[in-house]
Amino acid sequence: MSDLLRAPAEIKYAEELEWLESVDDSPKPFSWRLSPKMVRLFILGSERSDGLDREISQKWYGDRSFVERSIVTLASDRGLLLIGDPGTGKSWLAELLSAAICRNSTLVVQGTAGTTEDHIKYSWNVSMVIAKGQSRESMIPSPIMTAMESGAIGRFEELTRSTSDVQDALISILSEKYISVPELDSDGIVFAKPGFSIIATANSRDRGVNDLSSALKRRFNFVRIPVVTNKKSEVEIVRFRTEELLRRHQIELEVPPTLLDVLLQSFADLRASAAAAGSDDEKLESALSTAEQIGVLEDAVLHSNFFGERALTARTLASSLVGSLARREPEDLAILNKYLHGVVEPRSKEEGGSWPEFLEGGRDAIATLS
Amino acid sequence: MSGTHEGTFQGLRAQLQEAAATFADGPDALEGILLGIVDDVDRAVREPLEIFPVCHHSPASAIAMARRLREKRPKVVYLELCEDMAPLLTELRNCKLPVAVQSFATEVEGFPAEWSPLSVVAPITEASAEYQAIAYALDTPGVELVLVDRSSDHVFQWDARGTESAEPADPAAPPAEEEAPLHGDAVGVEIGDLRPRFAELEEYLLRHGKVRHWSEWWHQYVELPLGDSDHDTYRQVMLLIGSLFRRLAPGDPHRVRVDEDRERYMWTRMREHLAAAGADPADCLYVCGAFHAASRVAEFGVHGTDTFEISPPTATTWQHGLIPSSHAAIEAQFGLAAGSVSIAATVWAKNLGRTRVEPFRLVGQVGAKKSRARKAVAAAAAVPALPPSDKLTGFLRQTPALDRLDEAELLGWSVEIVRAARRNGYLASTADAIAVFETSILLAGMRDRTRPTPYDFQDAAVTCIEKDTVPGRRDVRRLVDIMMGGDRVGQVGYDALPPLARDVHDRLAPLGLKLQQSGVRRALLDITSQPELERCSDVLWMLRYLMPQGAARPIMGERKLGERPIQESWDLALGTHQRALIELGYEGVSIEQVLEQRLRRLAYDRRATAASVLEAVEDATLYLRSRRLADELGTHALEVLSAERSVDGAPEVLRRVRRLLAYYRTSEAVLPPWIESFVKTGYAHYCTLLPTAFTDDDATVRQVAAMLGFLFSMESLALSLGCDRNQLELAVVQSHPEEPSRTALLWAAQVHLGRLSRADLRARCDELLGNPLVVPAYPRYLSGFVHALDPVPGLTDFVVEAVSNAFGRLPDPVLLPWLPTLITTLRSGGSELAPLLIREAGRTFPGRLAALDTWVPPWRAQPEAVRPARPVEAVHGCALLAAHPATCDAVASLLGCEGTWETADSGPAGVALAGRHPDTAVALEALLADA
Repeated sequence: MSDLLRAPAEIKYAEELEWLESVDDSPKPFSWRLSPKMVRLFILGSERSDGLDREISQKWYGDRSFVERSIVTLASDRGLLLIGDPGTGKSWLAELLSAAICRNSTLVVQGTAGTTEDHIKYSWNVSMVIAKGQSRESMIPSPIMTAMESGAIGRFEELTRSTSDVQDALISILSEKYISVPELDSDGIVFAKPGFSIIATANSRDRGVNDLSSALKRRFNFVRIPVVTNKKSEVEIVRFRTEELLRRHQIELEVPPTLLDVLLQSFADLRASAAAAGSDDEKLESALSTAEQIGVLEDAVLHSNFFGERALTARTLASSLVGSLARREPEDLAILNKYLHGVVEPRSKEEGGSWPEFLEGGRDAIATLS
Repeated sequence: MSGTHEGTFQGLRAQLQEAAATFADGPDALEGILLGIVDDVDRAVREPLEIFPVCHHSPASAIAMARRLREKRPKVVYLELCEDMAPLLTELRNCKLPVAVQSFATEVEGFPAEWSPLSVVAPITEASAEYQAIAYALDTPGVELVLVDRSSDHVFQWDARGTESAEPADPAAPPAEEEAPLHGDAVGVEIGDLRPRFAELEEYLLRHGKVRHWSEWWHQYVELPLGDSDHDTYRQVMLLIGSLFRRLAPGDPHRVRVDEDRERYMWTRMREHLAAAGADPADCLYVCGAFHAASRVAEFGVHGTDTFEISPPTATTWQHGLIPSSHAAIEAQFGLAAGSVSIAATVWAKNLGRTRVEPFRLVGQVGAKKSRARKAVAAAAAVPALPPSDKLTGFLRQTPALDRLDEAELLGWSVEIVRAARRNGYLASTADAIAVFETSILLAGMRDRTRPTPYDFQDAAVTCIEKDTVPGRRDVRRLVDIMMGGDRVGQVGYDALPPLARDVHDRLAPLGLKLQQSGVRRALLDITSQPELERCSDVLWMLRYLMPQGAARPIMGERKLGERPIQESWDLALGTHQRALIELGYEGVSIEQVLEQRLRRLAYDRRATAASVLEAVEDATLYLRSRRLADELGTHALEVLSAERSVDGAPEVLRRVRRLLAYYRTSEAVLPPWIESFVKTGYAHYCTLLPTAFTDDDATVRQVAAMLGFLFSMESLALSLGCDRNQLELAVVQSHPEEPSRTALLWAAQVHLGRLSRADLRARCDELLGNPLVVPAYPRYLSGFVHALDPVPGLTDFVVEAVSNAFGRLPDPVLLPWLPTLITTLRSGGSELAPLLIREAGRTFPGRLAALDTWVPPWRAQPEAVRPARPVEAVHGCALLAAHPATCDAVASLLGCEGTWETADSGPAGVALAGRHPDTAVALEALLADA
């Protein structure tokens, strides 16, 4: 485990999953490794009332009904489409679901403008085809086809980034549950085994780029994941993810709770101003999601660790915030400047604490960038 | 607390003690709470006067209540509802439920004035325990219904406004629906408010119950298990829940005090009634919220202490009535999840069929289905009271009762939601119905239940049908809400309406419309062919004045002074605005009376101005045709005007007085004395204020122009009533404006008074245009002239000339920036002046392009052509009249004058006049002699 930069969920939580499987006596659909209730428990964590001998940590934060709806969708005949703003935890939820259900979250197709139908179905090993002709051996199955063959969950990231004709290749996979390979004379159909399903994710900001066809929409159940605005859960998410990142980088560094508050508060302020903005020019390009917060914090932590005094300061946090959020010049810089002067400055005078240093750091960062 | 029956719950006590010891590592608060709860239940169960704990909008409570009433047949029912609302309850039978009983007070005494109007509403739905109790008590002979809760007055006496914030609404509640504001801003009172008082407990219960909101939790964990339980179990469980929430409350001191005072109040009232009526407590039933049933106050019980003193009500006069309510309004007011009251109504209807309990319904209840055989009422006999036994232990131990899957019902729902979604633009098909069905079962399974609740079904429908966009007005969640019963809007029946509302409906009956029903009705009034409809028109105009926008909206037809209606068409929505009509009923017995009160209130308001009082006079004439009220208000307008020191309202006053004068001149033989005095006072008033207004920076040109307009146009009437013209001349002489537009206005006034000739005025303007130093100010002079058109309409041709000169001679840098100002001035202040100018310009300028080349402006041609023409013209006229005397004779005879024609050259007229009236000459002679 330690030689992987980032272990997939099924490896990272292998022991937990094994244990859950050993105590799970509820009926399981198809070839699922865990029952739906246990999948929920794995993702949302256990409580005393669940009566388990060990504690299961919470891995995804959000409304429990989203998780429940996702799980039952996978147990039904339809694919699952998680839709939401960037950084709302869609892919993480998809990974956790796949890991819990089939212990394999790596059967992933990444949707891009360059994704072709081959990436979804299969392609050929050209030299083998020349040597031995077209056969099952010379065929390179896509992750989705592999998932079908093994009755696992296939994942399709950023479905709406790929073009509509490519997306539509999923229609027959989702309804007929097989892929025919016309190049093969015999054994030309790959059937899906029970347990196969697809979890796709789509970014709601990409709406209109490559809209899904009605036929494909019909084959997916949509679960919309909203941006977390509840402060309590946001604190938990940021703490959880940061700890994980620190562990991954093997960094021993304390994140002071006051700085975490400063970060959350500044994101809350920026979100409020984005909500009040009239046009796109008046709001930051960033979606200001929880993932962005984690990014800002990670950036600050790494900077402090390697270039600073091995302690996180408000100044570093501010420069990391400005650096991460200022993507367009001059619009984003102007907004951040306005924020620092209009909101942070009065606050640093009133409340003191880490705010004056944060203000200072922010100003310096803006001065450097502009 | 420990009495002879201590043994009833002994087993449970021991168990709880043991549990507390296990979980809390020894005796401590937990044990106190757990045992305290049992004590509360024990105490309430042993009370000789049977306490029936209920929860609001709980079908289980309603079923249990119906059952108990049939079993026990109590002779007296005490109900937790404001005691002053009692007389209205019998009117419920005339209404379509849900309706709300309302107490309303506009004239507030003893409370801060800013609280006015005070309003308390208690909504009543059919699926509620209180309705069962009311229906039983009112329709069973020999049974008395006594409301025992604090009066509406006490609700506000005990109110701590400003010190506490409003209760947070349910976070899951969606934005309010159209019907949500049906209760207005009334304070809601409800029987059986039962909900955890602190957020953590509620959150804990929701999380462990795997439900989203409180209504769902209640439905799942209390409604369903209690649905078929016997009376003792129901009662003990409800007491237990009430006591639990009470003991785990955060202890907001004000709230606790109000709750306890209410309990003291209720028990004190009950004891008073028992003593007065001599009733046996065993024959009585006390219906109250479970929260209050677990009370620990000393006054609790038939044998409680009489230490509570009920404070006297304030002097506020309370009016009572029934107003329509709706499920959405109830949910919004009491912070319940959207759709929960509708779901409760559906469950109630289903439970009735399943349990075969015969519910109570008021005889003749509007909107209710015909009641089946009422045999059960007669057949049931009173059941002797048995000593209480412990039902709690069994209930707490039993595994959650699982409702079996009702496949047919779920299939029905799935098909229905897909149809509804299709109607609302979703691409939903039978495959979706199958998916919804399957997903509902899976979801319910994940949440540890066999039978999907309506909320599980809602989640499933959203999962399977909702895609990335909502195609229509409603999303799937809302569609499920509607499908599960939707909102139901109540209606107050005709007989339960206040006299005013009944009167309105009676008077609008000739229209032949069903105005009681909600929705918009179109009324067409052809008054020429059906003169009797004119009275309907009067009513409609008054309603338009008194009711909120949209209740009565004229599409065609208007009401102006002196005009009679011919044809009108209206959009009427009286049914939709029934609450507003009912609340009007609290103000008086007829709309005329209410309108008169309102007008009087408006006129005598502290902030009333002469203009606003004149408006009230106009309205009184327009809507009430009341000369008496108009005279009274007019006299008041006079007083208000004399007290005014600013000229802000001058334009409005001028407009209204002109209109009223025109009306009185055409419709009355003599002018009302008040308007004569008003003109007289106004003349003197504005003369006095004129010099200051000319120099006052706060007064606008328009206001000064309006003052001049009043003075000039009312002059003849004012002089005939004894005003002195000198006053006006002096005022004009004393005015020394500095600002250009006002200076121009003053010049116009001087021309009108003959103090300045047009030639001089023209010369002054030329001078302004010729002087490069003042040219930039010229446009402002012009705007003064434009405003002068109202008081001095004779100057129209001159204004056209001045504007033409400006266009011709002003340099572009001055002219161009001024043009927008001219246009905006004409548009905002001079909508009636612009046509005047345009007509005059049309007369002055040539109509065709070809004529323009040879055209000479009349003001340039004037000196040679016009001046000598004048005397000739005068002679011409006289000569013409003298040559054709018939016209003058005819006019003279028509006017009743007798006279003879005299020749023009019959000697010096002045000498004859002096000879006929020698007094002047004599006086002059005496004067000269003295000098």
